[in-house]
Amino acid sequence: MEIIQWIATNIFGVPAILLGSIVLLGLLLQKKSTSQVITGTFKAMIGFLIISAGSGIITGALTVFEPMWAEVFGLESNTFSNYMGQEAFTTKYGAAVTLAMFIGFLINVLLARFTKFKYIYLTGHMMFWTTMVFAGVVVDTKTDIPFWGFVIFLSIIMGIYWTFQPAIVQPFMRKVTGNDNIALGHTSAFAAVLAALLGKWLGNKENDSEKIKMPKGLEFLRDSNVITALTMGLLFCVGAVILLIKGGAGAEDIIANSGDQNFIIYSIIQSFTFAAGIAVVLLGVKMFIGEMVPAFNGIATKLVPGAKPALDCPVVFPYAPNAVILGFVGAFAGALIWLVVLGYSVAYVFVPTMIVLFFHGATAGVFGNSTGGVRGALIGGFITATIVSWGQYIMVTFLIGSTIPDTAMWAADTDMFILSPFIKFLAQILF
Amino acid sequence: MKILCVCGLGQGTSLILRMNTETVLRQLGIQADVENTDVSSAKGEKPDFILTSNELAQTLEGHPSKIIIVNNYFDLEEIKTALQTNLN
Repeated sequence: MEIIQWIATNIFGVPAILLGSIVLLGLLLQKKSTSQVITGTFKAMIGFLIISAGSGIITGALTVFEPMWAEVFGLESNTFSNYMGQEAFTTKYGAAVTLAMFIGFLINVLLARFTKFKYIYLTGHMMFWTTMVFAGVVVDTKTDIPFWGFVIFLSIIMGIYWTFQPAIVQPFMRKVTGNDNIALGHTSAFAAVLAALLGKWLGNKENDSEKIKMPKGLEFLRDSNVITALTMGLLFCVGAVILLIKGGAGAEDIIANSGDQNFIIYSIIQSFTFAAGIAVVLLGVKMFIGEMVPAFNGIATKLVPGAKPALDCPVVFPYAPNAVILGFVGAFAGALIWLVVLGYSVAYVFVPTMIVLFFHGATAGVFGNSTGGVRGALIGGFITATIVSWGQYIMVTFLIGSTIPDTAMWAADTDMFILSPFIKFLAQILF
Repeated sequence: MKILCVCGLGQGTSLILRMNTETVLRQLGIQADVENTDVSSAKGEKPDFILTSNELAQTLEGHPSKIIIVNNYFDLEEIKTALQTNLN
């Protein structure tokens, strides 16, 4: 019994060790060389530890952003209190999340093997975030869930989602790509389908986005670090200027945080710190996903004849590069409108998370364009912003507030917002 | 030889490109270190070759490494042709 207890505490209880073991097994099964096995395993483990470190940086910048905009809207700032946070959450539940990802993927492979839905979900970083956010919702519902019950519940949900999300999108995907070889495996699916349907209804297919000439010099929009820093920088600056003009006790308290530094300079640095934190987390995710997905791919191609890979959303971008930009413009405009509306109506400070807005808005733009041309693409972007902003408010306020609202503010996205109420409902019934 | 596969976020798409590139290199019997990253980080690295899309190649203009454009990251034939033309 002591041995089992030791394994439970030191392997299943330590996410980095568990992940390292899974990757090690995967690399050995693929018969990789010794040096590849060692570097792969180490990189996966280091990557996982980097994620926690980066989360701390993001949270630090958000704890400046949130009170600042709360003061702008004249709200009580209380979102950032009494929650676990990503770092503590990963330490406690990271192992369950890692296992659920792995078993969920195996369920996906089995479903693809034995049903007519041959989709294999290969977007590793989204697998990670979706499992993580759903875990946050489950723990927010009930804290004392047995380990294996938690893992199996999450695995089944993930396995079903990863098989059927690509299947549902595929009819629309065929319209975009003109073939049936690849599928979309991404959490922007709900917005993409909605964009295609609304595009058909409200758009004009004749006015295809690829017929118009886009201004040059928008390439920088494809660089996620730049758009994050740029938009957060603008919002931090606007917030800072409003506070400086507004004055009053609340504003002065926040301004005092900058000490001797000019408050606007301080705000700019905070916004860049936010972007830096995201870059760190993404580096970590890249390091461990980069070792896991090839192993997953190896398993899937061996076990599922005729498997169709469900891939990350930029796969659709080359089919309509202008719609990518239009979708983002629609999403960006929508986000700014909802930022103000949410602030004044339900007293919530929306964090307009640029990575989500860009990639999801762009994907919805491409799908919207496929049925509704330029108007369809813009509507697709706007729909994305609507789901993301209201979704973030509902998620942070009602579904995940005690566990990882810090992560939900920048990494949670379309499908997660749509599905989380059901996850919570199921968790309430089952646990 | 080092090859860097690049996409906007450096997460999903460049990883798929990396996996497909590794498959093609195996078929061609070429030994190479293949890594994937985002377009910001790519600017600071000096691999022998960068594989990326036409759109991102524009933001990498003036990069010292040789840039190879691949439009369809899932088309093994296109990747093979692109590599054969540029590696020799």
